[in-house]
Amino acid sequence: MAFLSILVSALLLLLPSRGSSAVAAAAAFASGSAAIGEGGAGEEDFSEALLLKPLPDRKVLAHFHFETGAPETPSYGRHHRLFPKSIAQLVKKFHIQEMELSFTQGRWNYESWGGFEPIASSNAKPPGVELWAVFDVPPDDVDASWKNLTHSLSGLFCASINFLESSTAYAAPEWSFRPGPGSLRYGTLPREAVCTENLTPWLKLLPCRDKAGISSLMDRPSIYRGFYHSQRLRLRSVKTSSDGTHSSIILEQTLTVVLHPNIQKTSTVNYGENKLQPSWSMSSLFGRKIGGTCLLAKSSNVYLQLDWDLVRELKHLQNGNQELGVESIMEESFLSNPAFVLSDEPDKVINEVNSRSEGSSAILYEFSVRKHSDLGPFDLGFTWKTPIVWSCPQLPLRVSRFLMGSGNERGAIAISLRSTRVREGLTNAQAMGESCKLDVNVFQVVPWYIKVYFHTMKVFVDGKPIAVSDIIEKIHVSPSEDKVSPGVLEMILKLPCSVDSAGFTLEFDKGFLHIDEYPPDANQGFDIPPAVITFPNFHVKMHFGEDNSSKQSAVLSRFEDNIPVRSYTEVLLVPLTTPDFSMPYNVITITCTVFALYFGSLLNVLRRRVNEEERFLKSKDKRSSPLSRLRSKLSTKLGGKPVVTSQSSARSSSFISLKLILKIILVAGIAIAWQYFSE
Amino acid sequence: MAEIAESSDTSPDHPAPKSDRREEFDPETMRRTKPGAKRLVLTLSVLVSFLIGFPLLWKSVEIYRAPLLFDDIDSLSKRMESEPLQFPCNFRAVFVGFDFGSEDFDRADDLKSSIANRMDGFVSGTSQCGTCSSNYSVSVVMESNSHCVQSRGGRRSCPYQCGAISSVDFASDDESIDGSLERVLGGECSGLAGKVYTVVVVNEDAGDKAVIGKYRHAWIVGRTQEEKAVENIAEIFVKVFSNGGKEEGLIHGEFMPVGADGRIVLSFNLLNTDPQDWIYDWDFNTIEEHMLSPLVEALGPIANITVESQVLYHTPKSCYASWDDELKSFILNTGDLPFFVNSNEWHLDTSTAAGGRSKVLQLVLYIPSAKECPLNLQLPNREISKANGYISPMWGGVVVWNPKNCLQDPEKYPTWHKISPQDLQKIFEVFVAQIRQLIGLKSDNLFIGTSGRSIMLASEKGFTEWELDALTRQHTCFNLRSCATTLSSLSRLVQSLPRMIIKDEIGKQVKLSMEAAKQAESDASHGIYDAAAVSSRQSRALAEDAFFHPSIMSISYYSFEHCFAVYSPFFLPVSLHVVLAALREWKRYQRENKKYFAWKAREDAS
Repeated sequence: MAFLSILVSALLLLLPSRGSSAVAAAAAFASGSAAIGEGGAGEEDFSEALLLKPLPDRKVLAHFHFETGAPETPSYGRHHRLFPKSIAQLVKKFHIQEMELSFTQGRWNYESWGGFEPIASSNAKPPGVELWAVFDVPPDDVDASWKNLTHSLSGLFCASINFLESSTAYAAPEWSFRPGPGSLRYGTLPREAVCTENLTPWLKLLPCRDKAGISSLMDRPSIYRGFYHSQRLRLRSVKTSSDGTHSSIILEQTLTVVLHPNIQKTSTVNYGENKLQPSWSMSSLFGRKIGGTCLLAKSSNVYLQLDWDLVRELKHLQNGNQELGVESIMEESFLSNPAFVLSDEPDKVINEVNSRSEGSSAILYEFSVRKHSDLGPFDLGFTWKTPIVWSCPQLPLRVSRFLMGSGNERGAIAISLRSTRVREGLTNAQAMGESCKLDVNVFQVVPWYIKVYFHTMKVFVDGKPIAVSDIIEKIHVSPSEDKVSPGVLEMILKLPCSVDSAGFTLEFDKGFLHIDEYPPDANQGFDIPPAVITFPNFHVKMHFGEDNSSKQSAVLSRFEDNIPVRSYTEVLLVPLTTPDFSMPYNVITITCTVFALYFGSLLNVLRRRVNEEERFLKSKDKRSSPLSRLRSKLSTKLGGKPVVTSQSSARSSSFISLKLILKIILVAGIAIAWQYFSE
Repeated sequence: MAEIAESSDTSPDHPAPKSDRREEFDPETMRRTKPGAKRLVLTLSVLVSFLIGFPLLWKSVEIYRAPLLFDDIDSLSKRMESEPLQFPCNFRAVFVGFDFGSEDFDRADDLKSSIANRMDGFVSGTSQCGTCSSNYSVSVVMESNSHCVQSRGGRRSCPYQCGAISSVDFASDDESIDGSLERVLGGECSGLAGKVYTVVVVNEDAGDKAVIGKYRHAWIVGRTQEEKAVENIAEIFVKVFSNGGKEEGLIHGEFMPVGADGRIVLSFNLLNTDPQDWIYDWDFNTIEEHMLSPLVEALGPIANITVESQVLYHTPKSCYASWDDELKSFILNTGDLPFFVNSNEWHLDTSTAAGGRSKVLQLVLYIPSAKECPLNLQLPNREISKANGYISPMWGGVVVWNPKNCLQDPEKYPTWHKISPQDLQKIFEVFVAQIRQLIGLKSDNLFIGTSGRSIMLASEKGFTEWELDALTRQHTCFNLRSCATTLSSLSRLVQSLPRMIIKDEIGKQVKLSMEAAKQAESDASHGIYDAAAVSSRQSRALAEDAFFHPSIMSISYYSFEHCFAVYSPFFLPVSLHVVLAALREWKRYQRENKKYFAWKAREDAS
């Protein structure tokens, strides 16, 4: 870059003689700033939090949560202090009401990492890219806005989100994905590879990026070494005042990773070592420590969450030991609790109140980064002392999806729901009423080349087929249109609470794609986006008694939101018939050759004079070479026919050709008949 | 078929019995009947139909190319190269307080011609695009207390009102003189070529000075000789009013940072290098209202300007400053400036809102961290830059602002500070000056010519009217030039790739662009600056649209080789058959015909 840099040298310049206007401007400044000071409620703010949670299968969940809010002022989209300008401009340009974009690698393990809790419900995402957005525009303009948005996001996040532009890639769910009306568009790219090039632009939206504060923990190799990695960006517009005149845009950025702590060779051989959960610290998980706070953040906290079941186990342990009171893990004396040791003393212990499961409630330890990083880098350590086995809160039904059938022609998709029997208490409670029903919302998008026959839907409850109308309360199907739109299935299943397993199947034919519609590496197969299963009866909502604590922290207030339980099924890989890509040329060549042969012989038949040529040959024969004489002799001997005169030979040749044609017709007829009957 | 043909085509088998009647008949060399033409006609008709079909096939595989006006494009670009666009300008010199008689028309005419001569002297050599080089008219008015005399001839679109100038008090301060001159001279002219640039020469006993006002006039006060005044007037006309007061070679019109769609985005960035030391914020809304919106409005005819701002944190610069004990500050000299902008850490995003081909100018306010504060920029002559900023043409500008409590130890937990309105005012004055420089104007309040120096008054809007006129002229010219070059390179590209699809849309855009360019040229020749600027901008935008049309980007893969590969498996063998058959048949027909004629000749002879 050859900067032709020029110093603005003597810049006394502007308006040396414009005293009056300068004074006027200064006066206006004073009044302006006073006005802003009064209306200071609508300021942009930023807060960050990290939530750590030990998981039952010896892994650790780390959930980063960053939240930036901006009031919708007239200068929105043009002048910003903390809120990222690029996002604000997107919101303004495309009239986005709500939007969520997630980049995920790995699959969320609903069994061992939990399904019935806030993090799983809102941060367990399907692999690849998922994008949905609600626009505040007239219904006719929604598609145009969506298309422009995908292109903008694709540039912003260095991802191929622009492939969601084509109308075959996105759907407009009406009620099954999210309740409430709105011009919603939804699309997924299951095969998108997620890596640092997507994380860097995402970090760029944070005021401190990864220079300071909690985000400085994001060491790329450690993060991408994890078992699950989901980077999410969510935009919401929130009405701040009661009359709904003032609203603000909130940008929520979360990064959820599931990591395996490096097993430290701590002590000598311990007999219980393989049962003992691995101990971990921030530096062993991420390879880094929190050096300082991001000064721009309103709050900057680290939380350690202990699950319901874990808390119960701990209480059991304590009761068994009879050393300490039941309350001890919630009290300040927790450092001496028999199960684990924390390296730092928490600033606050937050208890969940009104817990769902009886007898125990989740516990959160809060650590203020500012306080703990005062003396040195903050490195929270968690050491287990006793082996403990616990389980995570499970979904009411475990959902899986698989393919049936074989071959390249047709198949079937099956979605099976199996009861996890953990909601026993709730089921019983509801069973008191007459009709205990469990609602399940299913939302499935199928690409057009998987031609699903929706009339073939079969439903099984506890292994027995039952009528579709008995179990489906509401269904909305929009069949796919070739090369125009994907097929969408939305339905509400009403299952009896006592159900053990349920499932339904849909048959499909595999379509053919045009030669240039195949993606590179078509032999790998085609992905069917995951089905979204929502349980509208169940809501994950944690409730924290102390109002002030949840108000301060964005992540806790998100936990208090009423989110319906949602889970995603696996991505299916469907092999389609993939052509040999040089085929078109082969076809052209063969067809053309056949046509040319036909044409040439037809022309010859029209043109040739058989008599004249034979005569010519005969006259030639008279003075022919010994070779040709030998040949004619041979043919006479082999054919066993005498050499005939030209005239008779002509007649016989025409007769032979007639016979030949008849023979060919016969063979063709047999072939056709064979083909027909073998069908 | 064979049988039918046989019957018509007399074979030599049948006439065999006749041969004993005429021994001399040789079936090898003669025949009695005319040879049949059926097969010949058949094969030839196939051949002919193939030949006829070939152009049809060729037509069917032909790709669509919208007609482009190649000749018009060529002539436009030639015109732009050979004769730069010149606007008509009207100049007027008013002499107040000189001795002359009441009917002294000759003297006025003399003055007029001498001014014109001098102007030619200044103009000669450079005929820059967008000036009024030789396309101007000068009129001279001589006025005294009792009467006034005007030179004859010239364009009379805007008559001068005698005596009006006497109401102006040339003893008061410059601002008020400027205002009252505008009241007297400006306003009433609204003709096509209505813009008249006036220089008033006042022969009075007052401090010798020359002032160029904010509008379209200048005045020279003092006891001056006519000769000297004429020299002065001519220079002001040419160098200031016509050329926009620019020095040659500073920044050319080609560097005018206006996007192809005629938009500029001014993106202001406040960079807090290290928020651990201090965090500053600005009250951008107020500053935009008071300082930037007049500027945006003033530049309206040239570009559609939008303003946006953001505050960024953790943004170190990418070069090191050295401590200077004498100056008690960190010093960066000119050589380090190219490495000042740290594109890795400064996320000065291009604006999503702008889109298209708008030009984004980054204006950066850099607040150094505690360990490099105060930071000053050093001029090549080892002086400290007073503005503490620099520009990079076509990119934007940087201003370094040192907080006041710079040398004290920073607080442990810094709070938000707001840059005070006074400081912000100063900073934005520098920014406005930088914008002026980026656009191609001088940021100086003195004009130093060969015939003395004159003071230039600055406008609140940041741009004076005569500066805007000059900018508009240059912008129009630059747009037309770039439109011509774009179109001519498009036409060259299109002509060099004969198998490229050209959509109708492109043809339409080219046509519209040419029309707009013609409109701009005619407007310019009539002196309608604003309309010329608008249509020139339109022509450039359309030309760029046509050049960057997505369908041009993907050059068709349907190459000739491809076409050959697809059609040859059929046409090669078939054409072989057809041509050979026709040839053979033709040969046979000739041979048989010869036989017949031989027989006929013998028959006739006998």
